[in-house]
Amino acid sequence: MSSVSDTSAAPVEIAVAENAGQAQANGPNVFETRDLAVFYDDFRAVREVNLDIRQHEITAFIGPSGCGKSTVLRCFDRMNDLIDGARVEGTVSYHGVDLYGPDVDAVEVRRRIGMVFQKPNPFPKSIYDNLAFGPRLNGIKKKAQLDEIVEQSLHRAALWDEVKSRLKASAMGLSGGQQQRLCIARCIAVKPEVILMDEPCSALDPIATSRIEELMQEIKTDYTIIIVTHNMQQAARVSDRTAFFTTEVNPESDRRTGRLVEYNPTSKIFSNPDDERTEQYVTGRFG
Amino acid sequence: MSALDPVPVPEPDEHEDLRSTFHHELDEIREAIAKLSAGVTEAIPRATEILLTQDLEGAEYMILGDDEVDAKSLELEERCYAVLALQSPVARDLRQVVSALRIIAEVERSADLAVNICKAARRIYGHRLDPRLRGIVQKMGDQAQKIFKEATECYLTSDAVRAAALDDMDSYLDDLQRQFVQGIFESHSGDKVELQVAVQLAVVARFYERIGDHAVNIGERVRYLVTGWVPEHAGAARFATRAAASDLE
Repeated sequence: MSSVSDTSAAPVEIAVAENAGQAQANGPNVFETRDLAVFYDDFRAVREVNLDIRQHEITAFIGPSGCGKSTVLRCFDRMNDLIDGARVEGTVSYHGVDLYGPDVDAVEVRRRIGMVFQKPNPFPKSIYDNLAFGPRLNGIKKKAQLDEIVEQSLHRAALWDEVKSRLKASAMGLSGGQQQRLCIARCIAVKPEVILMDEPCSALDPIATSRIEELMQEIKTDYTIIIVTHNMQQAARVSDRTAFFTTEVNPESDRRTGRLVEYNPTSKIFSNPDDERTEQYVTGRFG
Repeated sequence: MSALDPVPVPEPDEHEDLRSTFHHELDEIREAIAKLSAGVTEAIPRATEILLTQDLEGAEYMILGDDEVDAKSLELEERCYAVLALQSPVARDLRQVVSALRIIAEVERSADLAVNICKAARRIYGHRLDPRLRGIVQKMGDQAQKIFKEATECYLTSDAVRAAALDDMDSYLDDLQRQFVQGIFESHSGDKVELQVAVQLAVVARFYERIGDHAVNIGERVRYLVTGWVPEHAGAARFATRAAASDLE
């Protein structure tokens, strides 16, 4: 086990002990959502989402545009707080603690739950500074310690060998795929427990995509990963569990609301799903 | 946790098939396999007639005809591989392709068995058959044809309910085979049939019985493609239970 995980044991002092008894065969639940609904002003974007996200698994969210998968993803690190008019109903618990409880600090939530976006977004700084940015914010000042974090994170993100000779060069000079791995490394550098990925490969070519997918498999022993993807094959390749969302017309308002249709092991979703609508979607019989 | 609440199924205009070319290819493969299977269904009574009338010319024709079945099976198998390689089928589409591959093998093997009946006809050429044995051969041929026809139709119409009945239809064929073997013993002990002929006839009975088994296998694959379930799951569950029990000891 890498030293990243050894030092990252800290994040979850919250309620692991209480939860341990309920641990399921595949590890405890990191998140549990109950009757989750998200509104943008009076528009209900998604409703009645009940999901348990298991530790050290990769969970994929799939579904057509507007089905609420990114919206639900953003609930897990309270990114919806940053959107004017966004409001969350129902509960999202993280190791048994209500994420939207009055005492919970959204900044602290985002420290433990990292996010990788569709478009690589390195800071316009050196590779080194990109990685040291978070740890410095967290108060780490010693150069030796920062050096170690930078190297470990780059190793973990399978980028070290490609950039070790140019750590002081601008991160903007990296290729798209390298930039995205840098963003994953930057995410890892602050030792989160969960990594949320919102279509992390949609701006990348197939080789860079494969690298990211390989990387996800390697790091899932230490992290819980949730990925939103439009690429069903990607969900099939990388994830342990898949949640299929769809949209339905809301009779009162005539607007569309996202709903969770089926949440099952990925092999089940892609070989013999329980719900007819999942079957139609994954086989392309429903557009 | 799966289908959570009843949600209205999308309106009909949303049922646009986004992969219609691919789905059309799957339909075509299934129809071609069903056609091949229908050909085997017709070959069974022909083989029975050849056996009972000692038609050497017909036997020769059937034996040569098997090359065509082999060629078509191979072509269909390759079409399935192409679909797997190029279309990444999932869910029902995946079950359709995987079932097709299995069913092609069942059909091809059944065609071989019909040919084997014709080869046996050549081996017993010139020997008279006891009328009672002839009667049972005719019944076995009829029943094997009936089962194979049913399996072919189940596959063509994806009818898992009818497919589930194939096993019971096969029991009757198994009974006939037992009767036939018993009849061979009796005929042999009554000096009505020579040992060499008796052995050939016993083997022929086995060919019919195997055709029935292949039809049952086709039915199981039909059930799998519709429901995702195969009967082996029941055995696997029993094994898991026994394994768990032995762990506890």
